[in-house]
Amino acid sequence: MNLHDMRTYAHDDVVDFVVIGTGAGGAPLLARLAERGLRVVALEAGPNFDPDEFTNDEVEAPRINWMSERLSGGDSPTAFGLNNSGWGVGGGTLHWGAFTPRPDPRDMNLFTESGLGADWPVDHDELIRYIIDVERTIGVSGATPYPWDPEREYLEPPVDRNASADIMAAGCARLGIRATDAPAAILSRERDQPHHGRRRASQNLGTIHQGERYGTKATTANTYLPVAVAAGAEIRPDSMVHGIERDILGRVSAVVYRHDGREFRQRCANLVLAGGGIETPRLLLNTGLANSSGQVGSNFLAHGAVQVWGRFDEQMRSYRGYPSGLISEDFVRPDSVDFAGGYLLQSLGAMPLTYATGLVRGGGLWGSELMDELDAWRFTAGIGMNGECLPTENNRLVLADEIDEWGVPRAIVTVTTGPNEQAINEHATAVMTRILDAAGALETRVLARTAHTLGTCRMSADPAQGVVDADGRSHDIPNLWICDNSTFPSALSANPCLTQMALSLRTADRMLG
Amino acid sequence: MTRHDCTVFFLHGLGFGGASAAPLAAALGDRFRVIGIDLPGHGEAPDAADGSVNALADAALAVIEAEADGGPWLLAAHSMGGKAAALVAARTLSGHANVFGLTGAVLLAPSPPTPEPMGDEKRALMLSWAEDGALSEIDAREYVAQNVATPLAVNLEQDAVALVRRMSPLAWQRWISEGSREDVSAAVGVIDLPVIVLAGEDDDDLGASVQPGLLSAVYPRARFVSFAATGHLLAYERAPEVAAEIVHFWESTASAAPAVAPEWSRMIASSRTAVEARALLAQRAIADDANYSPTTLSPEQLATLRTLADRLVPQSGDRRIDLAARIDADLATGRGDGWRPAELPDDATAYRRGLDTVASVWPGGRAQQDDLIRTILAGEFDAGKLDGAEFDGGRFDGGRSDGDGPWSGDVLRRWFDDVRTDLARTWLAHPASLARVGYDGFATSGPGAKPAGYVNLGAGTRDSWEPAELGSDQLIKESNL
Repeated sequence: MNLHDMRTYAHDDVVDFVVIGTGAGGAPLLARLAERGLRVVALEAGPNFDPDEFTNDEVEAPRINWMSERLSGGDSPTAFGLNNSGWGVGGGTLHWGAFTPRPDPRDMNLFTESGLGADWPVDHDELIRYIIDVERTIGVSGATPYPWDPEREYLEPPVDRNASADIMAAGCARLGIRATDAPAAILSRERDQPHHGRRRASQNLGTIHQGERYGTKATTANTYLPVAVAAGAEIRPDSMVHGIERDILGRVSAVVYRHDGREFRQRCANLVLAGGGIETPRLLLNTGLANSSGQVGSNFLAHGAVQVWGRFDEQMRSYRGYPSGLISEDFVRPDSVDFAGGYLLQSLGAMPLTYATGLVRGGGLWGSELMDELDAWRFTAGIGMNGECLPTENNRLVLADEIDEWGVPRAIVTVTTGPNEQAINEHATAVMTRILDAAGALETRVLARTAHTLGTCRMSADPAQGVVDADGRSHDIPNLWICDNSTFPSALSANPCLTQMALSLRTADRMLG
Repeated sequence: MTRHDCTVFFLHGLGFGGASAAPLAAALGDRFRVIGIDLPGHGEAPDAADGSVNALADAALAVIEAEADGGPWLLAAHSMGGKAAALVAARTLSGHANVFGLTGAVLLAPSPPTPEPMGDEKRALMLSWAEDGALSEIDAREYVAQNVATPLAVNLEQDAVALVRRMSPLAWQRWISEGSREDVSAAVGVIDLPVIVLAGEDDDDLGASVQPGLLSAVYPRARFVSFAATGHLLAYERAPEVAAEIVHFWESTASAAPAVAPEWSRMIASSRTAVEARALLAQRAIADDANYSPTTLSPEQLATLRTLADRLVPQSGDRRIDLAARIDADLATGRGDGWRPAELPDDATAYRRGLDTVASVWPGGRAQQDDLIRTILAGEFDAGKLDGAEFDGGRFDGGRSDGDGPWSGDVLRRWFDDVRTDLARTWLAHPASLARVGYDGFATSGPGAKPAGYVNLGAGTRDSWEPAELGSDQLIKESNL
C-alpha cells in the first residue's frame, strides 16, 4: 500500500499507542484511534507489498505468509506456514479466504449452554453493531434474505457460484438442508475505497489465498490502513518487536524492535499486541509479562476443518471463482447430538498444490493411488466445515529452546483433537458425504485438517481465568492491550476474521472511553 | 501440425544473416525446424533504432514470438548472435518475453556477455572495410577467409560473401564499435539452462581455449566442445558435426523433462500469464542436470531419495523430473514450509537422518518395499529390530531427535509425511504436471487477462482462452468487459 508522505514519529516521542501487527486485529483500531487524533505507530514484522508483488504461483506465494518456523506437537500437529498467520502490511488479511459469517449468539454462550468451554464476556448485540460497521466499510457480499437471520441485510449482492457451490446447493436441496450464497468480503460491484482508490468487482479469481491484485478482496491494506495513514498514523514495515520495556510502576514504556538488522526502541504511552494467536503469546512468554494468571499460551483452539471431496462425471475445476461461494448454518446446533457446539459448512475451491498436500497429509495417499487422485482432481467438488473447539489442558503454546532469526525462542504448539472435536468432525463428515452423494458423487474422500490459531491469551471477566478483560486490556498491566484472535474465549463456528475486525473497533471505542 | 521434435532458432554472427543457418538446417533434417533469424541490418531486416545488444535481442524475440509453434525450442547462436542469445535466454527465463518452451542453448564460438576480446588493430581494420558503405567483394572475402581454418567449399564461400556484402554498413559499424564492446553481463546474470558451447581450436579471439573462461560463470551447466582444425565459422566449416552435437544434446539433455503441450505453452507465453508466473514455469520446465551434485544430501542420500520418489510419486515414461535433486537444491536455500513436527530437527538434518534410516532397511523386492512404506506410514517401523551394524548414521538410540541413530514409529512417520508432501508439491509445480491435472490458474492476473480471472465457472464449461480439453465450447459465455 501507499506509505509515501505518511506522518512519522521520532523514536523518543512518547506516542499514544504502538500497535504490533497490521491485520484484522491491529488495523481497524489503528484507523479509529488515528481518526480521533491520537498519535499512533504500527509495527509490522513483514514488508509493505505492492499488490503487483502478489503471485498466484503456490510455491512463491508464501511471501505473504509467516514462514519463520514453528514447531507442532501432539497427536494432531497443526500445520503453519501457508495456514494461519500473515506476513506484511495487511497481516493475515493478505491471504485470508474472505469468508465472513457472523458469530452466532449460542456460540458466544457455550459454557452457559453446555457447561463446556467458555462464555464470551461480550454482548452479542453490541458486537453485531460493530460487525455491521465492518461489513459496510470493507464491502461484504452475501444473500439477502439470509435464511438463518431474517433481519440481516448484505449491501452487496452475492458473487458468482463456482462448480463446488453448485454441487453443494444441489445436494443440500435434495436433502432439505438450507444453503445459500456465502457472505464474503469480495466486492460484487466496483467501488472507490476512501483513501485507497479503485477496487474492482469480483474477477472470479480462485487464487485469493495467494494474494489478490485488484482489490476485489478486502484486506486491511485496502480498507482500514489507508484511512489510518490519512489520519496521521505511521506504519513501519519490516519491524519485528522482540522486547517490551516498563517503567518503575510496571507500565509499558517502550517496545524494542529489529529493523534492517538494527535495534530500535519506540517509546509509547500504551501498547497493543495484535500479532495473532501465535506471535502475541510468544512475545508475552518471552518477556514474562501479563501472565499472573498463567494463561498465556494456554487454551489453544483450532477449528476442525475436515474436507470431503466428491468425484463427478464432469470437470468441476473448482479452482475457478471465489472458493467458498456457498454456506449452510443448519449445523450450528444440530439436532440430537451429544457434543457441545456445532459447525458451519462451506463449499470449497482448492489450488492444486494445496489439494495435493491434503491428499498426502490428510488422506495418507502415495504412489499410483496418489497420482490417480491428482488426475481426478479436476472432476472433484468439495465441502468443508468450520467446527467448534474446546480448550483442554494439553493444547497449548510454549517456548522452545531453539532461537529464531530475531533471537526469540520459537513457539511449540501442541494439539491433540479431543472427543468433542472428534464427535463434531464425524457428524460433519457424515453430513458432507451425504450432500455430495445426493448431488451425484461417484465416490468421496475425506481429508482431515484444522485451521486458525485462537485462544492463547483469552479474554475473561475473572482475572484468574484469562489474560485480558472483555475490552482487551491486560488484567495485569493497565496500558497493555491485546487485539487479535488470541483473545477468543471459544472458537465459534464462524471463521474469526470478521469478528476480529469488529472486536478491534470495539476495543478502540473502549480505549477512547 | 508438423512432425518435428523441436524448433531451433538460429542467431547468426556478424555479417551473415538468417540464411547462414541453411547448411546446419540441411544437416539437421526434418526432426528439427530451423528458423534463421535476420538480426537488424542483416538479410531482410532493417537497421535497429540503436546499436545495443538489447536491440539485437528485441529483434530475435520478436521473431521467436511470431514463429513459435507451442513446441519446445533451442537457441542456436553464433558469435555476435551468442551475445544476443544470452539476453534472449535471460529475458525468456525471467518471464519478460511472451515466449515459452526454451529447453537449451547451443552456442557456436559465441561472443560473451562481457566486452568481446578483440584487438584494436583488428577492430580498426574491420571498421575501415565499411567506411564507404557496404563491404567490397575483396573485403568480404578477406573477412570470411580470416575466420576459417581451411578455405570453405566454393559454393559455401560465395553464399557467405554474398550475405556479408548485403548487410548494412551501419549495423557492421555498430557491432564493432558498440555491441561487441558492451557489457551486458549484469542483465544476463547466471543462466541455469542446458548449454553446449562449441568452438574451434583455430579461432583467434573466441576459440575453444578461451570459451570456458568467458562463459563458465554465465552458464554453470555448459559443456564445452572443441573442434580441431576449425576456425570461427563453425556452422559453415563443420555443419554435419555441429548438427550431430545438437541432436545428441537434444536427445540426452534438453528433452529429458516432461513436455508441455502446445496449447498450454501458448497460454503460458500469452499476456494472460503474469511475468513472474511465466518465469517460474519456464525455469521449472527446464530439464534437470543428469550430473547433478547434491549440496545438502550425500550422493548416497540423494540416490535413496530418488528411489523413494519413484515409489511415492511415480512418473511414467522416459521424460522425468528429478524430484530428489530439486528437493536437495531447495533444502540448500534453507527455505522451509513454515513449520515442522516438534520431534524433528531442522529440515536438512531430518532428511539426512530419515534417508539413512530408510536406506539401512530398503528391500530389493517391490512388494517388500510396499510393505516397508506401509509400515512407516502406520507409524509402526521399529528400528530397535535393526542390526546396529546396518545403520551408517549412528547407533540405535531409541529415535531421540537429537541423536544420530535411525528413527522409529511416529518420528519416522512424521518425517515421511514431510518427504511425501515435498515430493508431491515439487512434481505438481512443473508446468507439464499442472497441465496434466487440468490447472490453468497461472493464466489469470496477467497484464492481458481481462477479466483477470474466469467468466465461466460451471461444471463442464470453460472460457474461450482455455485449452479445449478443459470443457465444452458449446457453452462458453464471453466476458462483457
